[in-house]
Amino acid sequence: MMTVKELAERLELKILAGEASLDRPVSGGYTGDLLSWVMARLPADAAWLTVMGNINAIAVASLKDAACIVLTDSAPLDDAALEKAQELSFPVLLSEQDSFTLGARMDGLLR
Amino acid sequence: MRELSLNVMDIAQNSISAGAKLIVIDLCENSDADSLTITVADNGAGMTAEQTALAADPFFTTRKTRRVGLGVPLFKMEAEMTGGGLEITSEKGVGTTVKAKFVPSHVDMIPLGDINSTVLLLITCNEDRDFVFHRRMDLHEFTLDTRELRAVLGDEVKLSSPEVTEWIKGYLTEQTQRIKEESSDEVFRGTSGDKG
Repeated sequence: MMTVKELAERLELKILAGEASLDRPVSGGYTGDLLSWVMARLPADAAWLTVMGNINAIAVASLKDAACIVLTDSAPLDDAALEKAQELSFPVLLSEQDSFTLGARMDGLLR
Repeated sequence: MRELSLNVMDIAQNSISAGAKLIVIDLCENSDADSLTITVADNGAGMTAEQTALAADPFFTTRKTRRVGLGVPLFKMEAEMTGGGLEITSEKGVGTTVKAKFVPSHVDMIPLGDINSTVLLLITCNEDRDFVFHRRMDLHEFTLDTRELRAVLGDEVKLSSPEVTEWIKGYLTEQTQRIKEESSDEVFRGTSGDKG
């Protein structure tokens, strides 16, 4: 199974937080920006593609035990979120590509 | 959340968990100011200043079952996304008031949704508490106060009985319709007046 680190390398993702947890396995993906919606659906060990770089997103991802957050479209990670992600050692990655494009590439990699 | 009424349900549940006997839900829409203010006020256990300051932090929760609480944080985020905001005032032993202000014309505004069903559900599922629902659209308003209903119905009749539930549902629908019509009539008269 692919790890967060491998995923980051293959998709040229920048690592913003959680360097110590990059060996986590990634079993799938999910895309969504409405946090309450994502909270009901995000699978454990998934890479979550979103543009929501705030502390609530970190809370949703850690609550659902996602493997990592991938911020797409170069969406910003705010200071409170960065601090919390570092504290929890939760991986947050960054891509210039949009969720659709990156998701399609990721699907090819994870299959 | 998908609808603001679901947030209201969530915030009101906090009030119930805090042991509130009276919960006041207030919706105030002002079309000139382009604002919608949603207030949930209770007479529950209240919080200390430290707890109040942390209430919008998703990693702060008094629950022991899980370490994340997203009700207030999401409501706050949704308000801020429209250019509004959320404030909490609370006093230990007195109660808590959560007030969220939205800018309805903003593209990220989340629809209000079925607030009447939320209110009805809260009333009928919590027979041991009282609720006041007040909704105002510009100059027009209505109030539903379960204490008044109980005074009329007496102690024998439950608010969750089918007849009363049906009446509350009808009242909320009719009153909402009325204030919507009266408010839009004013807008219509205003524009036709300008043309005349």
